[in-house]
Amino acid sequence: MTGSRIGAIIRKDLREFSRNRFFVFMTLLGVVAYVAVFWFLPDTVDETVKIGVSNTVLSTDVGGVTEGGTAGFALEIYSSEEELRTAVEEGRDDIVAGIAFPPDFLEAVAAGESPTVLLLVPAGLPAEIELLLEGAVSEIAFGIARVPPPVDPITESVVLGTDRTGNQVSLQQQMRPLILIMVLMVETFALSSLVAIEVQQRTAVAVLATPVRIVDFLAAKGIFGVGLAFSEVALLGLLIGAFTVNAPAVLVILLLGAVLVTGFGMIAGSYGRDFMGTLLVSMLFMIPLMIPAFGALFPGSAPVWVKALPTYGLVQAIIRVTADGDSWSQIAPSLLLLAAWGVAAFVAGAFILRRRVATL
Amino acid sequence: MTPSFESAPTPAIDVAGVRFAYGDIVAVDDVSFSVDTGEILGFLGPNGAGKSTTIKMLTGQLRPEAGNIEILGMDMPGQREEIQARLGVCFEEKNLYLSMTGRENLVFFAKLFGIRDFEAEPLMERVGLSARLDDRVSEYSKGMRQRLMMARALINTPDVLLLDEPTDGLDPVSAIAIRDLIRLEAERGAAVLLTTHDMHEADTLSDRVAFINQGTILTIDTPDNLKLAFGQRAVRIRTRQGDGVDEQVIPLDETGAEDRIRDAVSAEGLMTIHTEEATLEDIFVEFAGRGLAG
Repeated sequence: MTGSRIGAIIRKDLREFSRNRFFVFMTLLGVVAYVAVFWFLPDTVDETVKIGVSNTVLSTDVGGVTEGGTAGFALEIYSSEEELRTAVEEGRDDIVAGIAFPPDFLEAVAAGESPTVLLLVPAGLPAEIELLLEGAVSEIAFGIARVPPPVDPITESVVLGTDRTGNQVSLQQQMRPLILIMVLMVETFALSSLVAIEVQQRTAVAVLATPVRIVDFLAAKGIFGVGLAFSEVALLGLLIGAFTVNAPAVLVILLLGAVLVTGFGMIAGSYGRDFMGTLLVSMLFMIPLMIPAFGALFPGSAPVWVKALPTYGLVQAIIRVTADGDSWSQIAPSLLLLAAWGVAAFVAGAFILRRRVATL
Repeated sequence: MTPSFESAPTPAIDVAGVRFAYGDIVAVDDVSFSVDTGEILGFLGPNGAGKSTTIKMLTGQLRPEAGNIEILGMDMPGQREEIQARLGVCFEEKNLYLSMTGRENLVFFAKLFGIRDFEAEPLMERVGLSARLDDRVSEYSKGMRQRLMMARALINTPDVLLLDEPTDGLDPVSAIAIRDLIRLEAERGAAVLLTTHDMHEADTLSDRVAFINQGTILTIDTPDNLKLAFGQRAVRIRTRQGDGVDEQVIPLDETGAEDRIRDAVSAEGLMTIHTEEATLEDIFVEFAGRGLAG
C-alpha cells in the first residue's frame, strides 16, 4: 500500500512537472544547449609555443637550436622585422611573440660583441613567457657562436602527478563536469519549485490528511527528485561522451550527484516563499556548488575551501574517470566523499522539509 | 471503501481536555466536546478562536500537548492512519493541485486512500461540476474550487467529516449547494464537525453548536436551547396608526400575553409580527463579550 501511495505521488509530481512550461523549456534547453556548447569546444590541445623570427639568414641555425634543445617551440620565419612586427600585432599565424635578430647578428656574435635582439611581445603576454623567450635568445646566441654557456647544469624533469605531456586535457574534457553539474543544478531548481508549490499552496497538508505518512511523502519527493536529476544528467552524459570510459563508475557518480542535489532541492523548496524566493534560495546553493566545477577549468591544486564544498568529490570523480581513466579503486576517495555529502544533504533536506510541512 | 456505521461507536468524535500552544501563545486550552454519528456540530467562534487548531489536532496535523482525542473509538494520533482512512477533511484554504484537472485531483486522492477503480464522475455530479470534470482547476472559479474541495472530502465516503469554513467567501448559490451536501452527509450517518464564523450557517445547519473563544469552549447546546436560555421570549408587533407606526413588544411569559397578542393581531393596520428570540451572535456576545467578526 505504501508503495502504491508513493507511486501515486511520484506520478502526480511528474504530471505537474510536465505541465510546467518553464521547467520543460529549461530541461530541453539545457540538454540541447549544453550538448551544442560541448561539441563546439576544441577537443585537442596544441602543446607547442609558436614564435616568429625575422632574419632568414639565421633561420636554419635558429631552427637547429630550438629543435635540439628546447622542445615545444615552433618557429615561423618572417622576411623582415616589419613583417614580424605586424604579425605579432595582429596575432597572425598563432605566434605568441616574435624575435627580431639584427642583420649583423652572426658577425657581431662571432666577433664577441653583444648585438641587440628585439623581443616583440603582444600586450598581455605573461611575464614568465617573456623571460623564457629571453632565455631562448641567449641559448640561440651561444649556439650560433659555437660557445658553451658559462654554466651548463644538467636538468632533469620529474613530473609530479599525472604526466600530461602529449596528452593534455582539452577544454572540452575540462568543461564536461561543469556541464553535468549545471544540468543537475537546473533540476535542483525544478524540484525545489515543485516542493515550494506543495508547501505554499498547502497541498502537502491535504495529502497528509489521508493515510499517507510523512515518510511516504518524503520518499516520493526524494525518488522523484533523484529520478528527474539522474535521468537528465545521464542523458546529457550520453550525448557528451561521458560514458566512453568506465561507464558503470560514471553512472554511480551521476546517481550520487543526483542524490546530492535532490537534498539541496528539498532544502531550497522548504524555504522558498514564492517563485522568486525559491529561485533566490536555489541560487544560494547553486553558486557555491558550481565552484569546484569552474575550478576544474584551471590547472593547479584547489584551495582547501573549495575541497570542502559538497560537489568537490563529484567533480574530482568525473574528471578522474572521464579524463584520466582512473579505476574504481583510484576514485574511491572521491566517491566516498561524494557519497557522504550526498547522504548528508539528502537527510538534511528530508529533515527540513519534514519540519516545514509539520508547521503548515 | 464501505462505510461502517453499524460498528461505529457513539460518539464518533470524543475530545477530552485537549490543549495546544504555538510557543507561548495558547491556541486551545482544555477543550472537550463530542460529536455523534449523523450529528452536525457547529464550531462557532471568531478568527483566531482556536477552531482551525482543533481541526488540525483532529486530522493529526498537530499533536495535542494534553488531553485525549478519540475518533471512531480510535486514538488520534496513535491510530492516525486507520482514522485518516475514514476521515474526510475540507480545509479552509483551497489546497488543490491547480495544474491538474478536477478529475485528476480526485483520482490522485482516491489512490492515496487506496481506492481502486475510482470513478470521479458521480462525485463531480453531486457537487455540480460534472461539466468541468476535465478542466484544469486553475480555470475554476472560487466557488467551483470549494465544491471540488467538498468532493475531495467525500472520496472515501467518510464516517467523520471535518469541515473548516466550507462556505467562507462563497456566492449564495455555491454556499447553498455545499450546505445541502453537508446535510445529506449527516443524513447518511457521517459525524460532521463544522467550523464557521457564520452565525446563520451554524444556526441552520447544526444540531448543536459550540461557542469557542480564545481557545476555550464557552458552551455547547442546540441552537434552540441556547436561544431559549439566553434570548427574550417576546413578540414585536407593529401596526399603522394614522400616519405613524405603533410598535409594542409583548413578553410571552407575562400574564395576559395571549390576549394582548390576539388584540393586536385583530386590530386594523397590522403591519408585522416578529418573535424576539436572540440570534446566536447575540448569545455569543453575551458569553464572550465580543462579536464573531473579530
